[in-house]
Amino acid sequence: MHDLVNDLRAALGTDRARAEPLELALYARDAGVARGRAAAVCWPSSTDDVAAAVRIARRHGRPFVARGSGTGLAGGATPVGDPVVIVTTHMNRVLEVDTANRVAWVEPGVLNLDLTRSVHHLGLHYAPDPSSQQACTVGGNVATNAGGPHCLASGVTSTHVLALDVVLADGSLARLGGLEPDQPGYDLRGCFVGSEGTMGIATRIAVRLSPDPPAVRTLLLGFDSVDDAAATVSGIIAAGIVPAALEMMDALITRAVEDFVGAGFPRDAAAVLLVELDGLPDGVDAQIGAVRAVASERSARTVRVAADEAERALLWKGRKSAFGAIARIAPDYYLHDAVVPRTRLVDVLEQVYAIAGEHRLTVMNVFHAGDGNLHPLIVFDAREPGIWDRVHAAGDEILRACVEAGGVLSGEHGIGLEKREAMPWIFSADDLDAQARLRDAFDPTGAANPQKVLPAGSRCGEATRVPEGAWI
Amino acid sequence: MTTPAPTDGRVALLHVDDDDLAACVACGLCLPHCPTYRVTGLEAASPRGRITAMRAVQWDGAALDATFAQYMEECVQCRGCEAACPSSVPFGRLMEGARATLQEQPPVKRSPLRGVAEWFGFRVLLPRHWLLLAFTWLLLVAQRLRIVPKGVALPRLSARSLVRPLRPAPAAGEVDAYLFTGCVMDAWQRDVHRAALEVMEAGGAAVGLAGRGGDCCGALHVHAGRIDEARRLATRVVASMPGDAPVVVDSAGCGAAMKDYGHLIDTPEARAFAARVRDFAEWARERHLPLELTGRRVVVQDPCHLRHVQRAASFTHEVLARAYDVTGTDDDGLCCGAGGVYAVVQPELAGAIRARKVEALQRAAGDTAPLVASANPGCLMHLRGAGVDVRHPAELLAAALKKERPPL
Repeated sequence: MHDLVNDLRAALGTDRARAEPLELALYARDAGVARGRAAAVCWPSSTDDVAAAVRIARRHGRPFVARGSGTGLAGGATPVGDPVVIVTTHMNRVLEVDTANRVAWVEPGVLNLDLTRSVHHLGLHYAPDPSSQQACTVGGNVATNAGGPHCLASGVTSTHVLALDVVLADGSLARLGGLEPDQPGYDLRGCFVGSEGTMGIATRIAVRLSPDPPAVRTLLLGFDSVDDAAATVSGIIAAGIVPAALEMMDALITRAVEDFVGAGFPRDAAAVLLVELDGLPDGVDAQIGAVRAVASERSARTVRVAADEAERALLWKGRKSAFGAIARIAPDYYLHDAVVPRTRLVDVLEQVYAIAGEHRLTVMNVFHAGDGNLHPLIVFDAREPGIWDRVHAAGDEILRACVEAGGVLSGEHGIGLEKREAMPWIFSADDLDAQARLRDAFDPTGAANPQKVLPAGSRCGEATRVPEGAWI
Repeated sequence: MTTPAPTDGRVALLHVDDDDLAACVACGLCLPHCPTYRVTGLEAASPRGRITAMRAVQWDGAALDATFAQYMEECVQCRGCEAACPSSVPFGRLMEGARATLQEQPPVKRSPLRGVAEWFGFRVLLPRHWLLLAFTWLLLVAQRLRIVPKGVALPRLSARSLVRPLRPAPAAGEVDAYLFTGCVMDAWQRDVHRAALEVMEAGGAAVGLAGRGGDCCGALHVHAGRIDEARRLATRVVASMPGDAPVVVDSAGCGAAMKDYGHLIDTPEARAFAARVRDFAEWARERHLPLELTGRRVVVQDPCHLRHVQRAASFTHEVLARAYDVTGTDDDGLCCGAGGVYAVVQPELAGAIRARKVEALQRAAGDTAPLVASANPGCLMHLRGAGVDVRHPAELLAAALKKERPPL
């Protein structure tokens, strides 16, 4: 272990690698609930540093895990198998901005919101906006193919990544994708985005920048029933409107958020919708009218249009702080990220509430309603004995209900450590084998973020190791 | 799994509340709002990392060792994380508790020199204002003789200011407001108090000063984990300004501590006193002040203890806008690195944090050298150390008072 740290220090600098027990404890988890253990932590400052760290880890027979801000919710950055944790926070420069082509090259440790702020004066922004955008890194966004409220209209991270310079698991370098619009050959860039660190580490990322819309308006709609809110979501899309964002929060989460931001969310509504419309001013005004009409048909009790930018920012601050704000109700949470067909929202939500009730748990819902991306949050106090069994049981049932309604396991957080055992619920043995072999093509050693995404036994030859009952 | 709380009845080590410690969900939204995380990129230098370290000691039996002490001591205690935390984790309270524990059980033997310096500063000098003034005269002589070490960021002391006491116009009956002058600020920046007094009197107030015992508010003691000493000082301060008149404080750090007296000394008198405390601009905004427009641009730096703790930073912008072209910075109120004595004990980190702030001030000023307003004496000194032209809002307002004023 000592040699490992010394080698890392020799390559990266004396203050760029550590392995004191307390230091390792700080990197034992991300914002998810799973805890692991690292062998060492290092902070490279260049592509060469990352490659060196990977080679040193391999020389010492250790896997490696890349980590940005550690805001992931599925345990993707949780160190498993005594790995070297490679932290990208020092690689935080916006390297190049090409305004004519609306492309920026950035290092992986650049914070999502910092990127947008750095090009704000040019009338541009980086479109994917996860709720953690003030804190999360672009590298982490690439790993999880992160979404966000505004991805309904503009697409998730993969749509906005043009090219990647990556360090592969043997320490070699490769460029995936390119700036030209039509890339020949297979889309390896597309493979890498969302691979959760299992195919290597991106060290330079070319992202697409989007022009700021001329007009943006945000509406807050309050409802007396979750059904009406969900029906309004379908109604808005059916009316031919694709809002820039369409978010829903249920009663409990609305109250928690209102207590934090005081933005005027109705504390007694059963559900609220945040609808953002953008485009040319006249078009936006017409859309506001159409949304109002749909909402009143579904008996919305309040329709408020944010009067100015400050009010709009406060509404979004509320929505984007929702996951943290739940600690006002209980100190721990378990969050899911399933996607269901929009038409099944009401029915699945009812099941979610019922399942939580059966397990005597509190569940809250805050989610990207426009694309059916549910985020049921089970809130609890981990200090209560036996609580984890109930939380896990309820979580599994919720996830199964979503899958049975025709949904998938993850909308944007990734599979990580948390949901890999559920992968066989939606993929056949052949599907998983094909994915495992794709992964092997990038990393035949399995050293890049091991035990993430694919469950043990994904390769056909490993079938004997499959836990009983895991295949359905 | 999240970290479980102790169930074996082991005595907790840190002076922190278990529920406070459990409140963090590790979402990481605090990270970009933490000045030390911003300049280091280290989890250990972030609020979330510090809480994880506290949990390791409190719940998992980790050692209260030098590494832990370093993690805690690197915190500026700006409390920018508290304002950003959607779970409202009382981070300041947690950090004060951890510091108090480290004060009692230091894991590394302090150098005797540091021990003596702390004893002299916290126990002898700050509680006795006459002694602090005498010591300041010594420093002033040393400064003129150029024997103050270069590393010590001492402001240029003024003999002219030290020989002229503050003299409010005598009040006929009860005063309308007290001006709290405190310890170091009165010794080193009395001209700020003079400006504040001038503005307050121009606003028609009969101003009183603290009586016996109003030597030091105890804020620096609280930050250092010296809670008992802080309580003693605070009790004296409460007694030094009797009545119902508002207590105006032109130091954001002192004001924040005094507004928290209700927690520090849990008595009805302390709570009533705390409710009377106002930041200078918070008080001034409700007054008509005879100001004239200067046309000058001022970049307002929000001191952390005004913005994140008192949540009263907007008043400075509001009042200054009556006479100046006011603009803020685009850095979400990130700390400047002054942090009471932080700049002295953690000079490297404080310097790196200040460099970021200076860039933000420059961006806000555009092409010209920024004229900066800061409502906290520590920030003033720290930023001046980087060559920035910084004034207290009271000084800027005093300079903008109409020369010809109708008699009161």
